[in-house]
Amino acid sequence: MLDTRNIYTPIRARLTDVIEESPLIKTFVLVPENNFSFKTGQFIELSVDGIGEAPFTPSSSPLVTEKLEVTVMKTGYVTDIMHLLKPGVFMGIRGPYGRGYPVEAFFGKEVLILGGGCGLAPIRSLLYTLESIKDKLVKVILCYGSKTPADCIYKPLFDRLNSLEKFEAYRTVDKADEEWDGSVGVVTTLLNKIKINIPDSVAIVCGPPVMMKFGTIRLLEMGYKDEQIYLSMEKNMSCGLGKCGHCMMGEFFVCRDGPVFTYNEIKHNPEIWK
Amino acid sequence: MQYKCIKKEAWDKTIEQLLLSYTIFACVENEYGLDYELIRPADILKISYNKPKPVTPLKNFFLPVKENVTSDVSTDDKPTIILGIPNCDIKGLGLLDEIYLDKEYTDLTYRKRRDNTLLIASDCFSIQEHCHCATYNIMPYIENGADLAILNLDGTIFLRILSVKGQEFVSNISALQSPVNFDFISSIEKEHHATKELLAKSNKGLTDYKETGELITTQKDDIWKKHYSRCVSCGACTTICPTCTCFLLIDKPGLEKVKQMDACQYPGFERVAGGEDALSELHNRFRNRFMCKYVWKPLKFSSLACTGCGRCIDACIGRISKNEIFMELVK
Repeated sequence: MLDTRNIYTPIRARLTDVIEESPLIKTFVLVPENNFSFKTGQFIELSVDGIGEAPFTPSSSPLVTEKLEVTVMKTGYVTDIMHLLKPGVFMGIRGPYGRGYPVEAFFGKEVLILGGGCGLAPIRSLLYTLESIKDKLVKVILCYGSKTPADCIYKPLFDRLNSLEKFEAYRTVDKADEEWDGSVGVVTTLLNKIKINIPDSVAIVCGPPVMMKFGTIRLLEMGYKDEQIYLSMEKNMSCGLGKCGHCMMGEFFVCRDGPVFTYNEIKHNPEIWK
Repeated sequence: MQYKCIKKEAWDKTIEQLLLSYTIFACVENEYGLDYELIRPADILKISYNKPKPVTPLKNFFLPVKENVTSDVSTDDKPTIILGIPNCDIKGLGLLDEIYLDKEYTDLTYRKRRDNTLLIASDCFSIQEHCHCATYNIMPYIENGADLAILNLDGTIFLRILSVKGQEFVSNISALQSPVNFDFISSIEKEHHATKELLAKSNKGLTDYKETGELITTQKDDIWKKHYSRCVSCGACTTICPTCTCFLLIDKPGLEKVKQMDACQYPGFERVAGGEDALSELHNRFRNRFMCKYVWKPLKFSSLACTGCGRCIDACIGRISKNEIFMELVK
């Protein structure tokens, strides 16, 4: 039986709520018209009708299937218009695409998550997943850095995580304001504060390219092996189908072979930090 | 290999009959050179056989420059015959098939066009200046990948049967006969050998596919910076390439998507929303095309991403020859 599904056609999803997370970041709550589910770390192509589409990793729990949350930073043509949208309109969703986090591989381990900037959006989805399987994990530590305290999204998330058994969450900012009494410095400085049993742990890095690079270098210095480090790569995933070529990173189509890779899988490729 | 044959005059009449049930494109010499053209009865005598090579690549039949891919797949229901395809184009189609007929995500428009088309390839009995297929172990004649191969030998047309679809096609043409003596085989082999000799002479010193990939990988940026100065990022090389298939999806009202051919040679191809762009500098884009074809695609696909057609060299307005660059890398 030949497949007759059109791979380019999005499903319609009603925008039911828009949550303002920071001056530049909003979370869009969407209710898809057709059944839709994803695995944590996978991404979708979200389109504004007639304007354009862009790839996002949902920030909501994969366990909640009746709605979907996507956290979007205002940073370009499509996202500028997305930020003007009001609840009630329909958007388009294609996907889910790619290879997400292999959470089964984390069973019996300590999980260290290094996040930066808008990278917290996909990490939130991962945290929901990890919370649902926490009996199978030893510990989860989140180290998150943002430019300023105002840029930090999901502020209640940190208190909630710290109240959960087996979870620890730390924050730092590059530049403090008058009210900030926490850590100041890049996100890797938080790694000096944590206690982790490196041989029995995995590390996940998600954030802007420069943070991913220096985060990975620091983790390697700490003694992490290449295969213990999971990177969520950001490229221009345009079709999501491994065809359009925009997200090629060396021999990999990030949209299909990733976006989550172990450092071991991609370290031979000098293109990864470009 | 099984052959059928027919006198050239009778073949021309057969084409006239075929036009009633097929849309036929064939290689015709026009003011710009040889190219695929829509054949009407008056054009049948203009069809060129066994001469390389159409100016435009075969991919244009299957990947139009721009098309709505979410509206109903509406190709002309009349089946299409493409006649006179050189092996470089047939082998290029191999990569397109791997990408667009991929089982998980099949492109319906591409599949419909492929299913609706009969490919009649053509052995090359001569070469053009930049032809270098044999350097990459692609022969100037066809053994697989098409439905039939056509040869015009001294006023007789021979059809080599290469697929079930090709077999079915020839079985419906009563004027085709089975050859009674097999002297033609040695004539064909002679032509093949002569073309290979020409290719070998013309491409002396050019490294094979694998070695070219290794040479490119080990180069420092200096070499690309030296050669990119005449590149104006026009994208002619990728547009004319039988294996370059990158595209852009453009949104239209009603959640429709229009697919438009795109290329890594254009600025902004890899730019992400935050502004980072791995290919922002021209020398990186210049290198990207070679890395993609000779290093990365071979790691991912079984079909070659450069079939040695040489069209990118013909098309470059800066007169950049990848083969001249590769020769320099060897030194």
